[in-house]
Amino acid sequence: MQQLLQLVVNGVALGSVYALAALGFVIVYSATGVVNFAAGQFVMLGTFFGVAAIVQAHFPIALGYLAAVIGMALFGVLFFLGVHLPLRKRPVVSVIIGTVAIGIVMQNAALLIWGPWPARLPSPFGDSAISIAGAAISMHALATIVITALLIAALYALLYRTGIGRSMRAIAQDSEAARLIGLPVTLTLIVTWVLAAGCSAFAGLLVGPMWFADVNMGEPVALKAFAATVIGGFGSVQGAILGGLFVGLVEILGASYLTSTYKDLLAFGVMIAFLLVRPQGIFGERIGDRG
Amino acid sequence: MNRSRFLSAVPVGVALAVALALPAFCSDYMVRLLSTAAIASIAVLGLNLVFGYAGLISLGQAAFIGIGAYTVAVLTTQAGWSPWLASAAGVALCGAFAYVVGIVLLRLKGHYLALATLGLNVSFGIVVSNWTSLTGGTDGIASIPSLTLGSFALDTDARLYLFATVVLVALCALTQAVRTSHLGRSMIAVNDDEMAAGMSGIAVTRAKAAAFAIGGAFAGVAGCLFAVHNRFVSPDDFSYVQSILYLSMLVVGGAGSIVGAVIGAVGVTLLPELLRGAGNAYLLIFGVLVLVVLIVLPDGLVSLARLPVFRRRQRSPRLDPIAEEK
Repeated sequence: MQQLLQLVVNGVALGSVYALAALGFVIVYSATGVVNFAAGQFVMLGTFFGVAAIVQAHFPIALGYLAAVIGMALFGVLFFLGVHLPLRKRPVVSVIIGTVAIGIVMQNAALLIWGPWPARLPSPFGDSAISIAGAAISMHALATIVITALLIAALYALLYRTGIGRSMRAIAQDSEAARLIGLPVTLTLIVTWVLAAGCSAFAGLLVGPMWFADVNMGEPVALKAFAATVIGGFGSVQGAILGGLFVGLVEILGASYLTSTYKDLLAFGVMIAFLLVRPQGIFGERIGDRG
Repeated sequence: MNRSRFLSAVPVGVALAVALALPAFCSDYMVRLLSTAAIASIAVLGLNLVFGYAGLISLGQAAFIGIGAYTVAVLTTQAGWSPWLASAAGVALCGAFAYVVGIVLLRLKGHYLALATLGLNVSFGIVVSNWTSLTGGTDGIASIPSLTLGSFALDTDARLYLFATVVLVALCALTQAVRTSHLGRSMIAVNDDEMAAGMSGIAVTRAKAAAFAIGGAFAGVAGCLFAVHNRFVSPDDFSYVQSILYLSMLVVGGAGSIVGAVIGAVGVTLLPELLRGAGNAYLLIFGVLVLVVLIVLPDGLVSLARLPVFRRRQRSPRLDPIAEEK
């Protein structure tokens, strides 16, 4: 029982990271239609911005987090200008290959800058654990869940309570019409990329202390975020959250109770099953031709 | 043969003559690399049927190649089959498996299909790495025998290269035959507008499944050649990263074009050699180059020469069925 509680907390914490990564992917997809295959490298870069600020520049952790998130926000703007704009009217395959290509560039730039050796990103909560009902629960795991919950609440407030959020949702529905009625489409798209990069930055900063910071960490995160997105429903914010939590829980519980060698197969098996039976995912809209 | 057909045949003939003469002038290492390029070309040619003609984005080509390669590896080293028989079985198995995948994933399109096939490829990697009794796990399978023609063994790099090139040319001819057949035209019609194609009596399901099956069989051929060329297979050779690479070869070369598929495969395979001076920055430069080609030449390198061969049809930039339905 203690073990189960511990596993569930760890699963939800890991799932929160996947949910944040999936949110970065989904926000961009719904507003711009861009399927960002570099989403995992965004998370990797978030982790390494944290490493640069906290480990290398010796910033206090809170300031280091802030610096990493601001750095990623600027990177989001750069990505909008350098990748989104040139590829915005291209077929989906060009966007897939283009974002994969830029992901390769990001990964290898990180390799050149930070080298192949894994780094350790400290948690603001150290390695401490608290005891709940006899189970040792890592503070970092709990903090990850709380921070993710706060970020999601902030995201909902932004999307549903502010003008820019309304215009984001309008553009997601129909960008031509949004432009016609005078919404600031370009500005909104920039904000979208900044938000996505911010979500990825937090995913990276929070997953850093769970794993080692490694320039190859982007791919496994991306694959899980894709699975989460498909399961939750393409383009759905709550779908990304639920899908992320599901994939994280399946990974941790599946590895303990079912099979550790095939733990990754569980998530992808569920993803493929969803694609076959219900391609719109749990919360996806009716997608007609797309599905 | 009319004048334009003739003019387009000349560079192809010259390229073929150069390709067959190359081993005489190259180092062993270079010939080995050229064989790899020829094998990649076959795989990309298969992908050209699936994506270039039928418009189905597949990120699973490496898994099909892997099924072909592992079939040859397992049947020759564990069951003692002759490499030819094992290759035939490998190609047949790949074609059949791809057909089933095509049928099962029939409803998916665009990035949904891309992610489903990507998931399939990832699953293939996990299974192959862990099914140790059959596949040797991450250690792979070594000492695969080479192909022999009577007493003539295709066991040197130059011999295998020439054989692979002959196979490639044969498959190019086959692709061209498919392209101009009713089936090939159906695939392109389905790509252009699935609903209109279905309305005008084209068997959409059949066209899509056939594209997957033929493309998978081509991947099987590439996999068999890979196995008898490398004499060793391991899971890393067939990871989803390779699938992405094959699709980028096709898009960079020019999707929907046989010449483009071959140019893309050869170019991307040989690029590391050209960029050798860049050292560790090689992949970074590779990524930038791919992005530049995508932005500057959306129809691929083949559009540079404006070869009058099977030019890819224009598709509307971003299909947005949701908006259209409303």
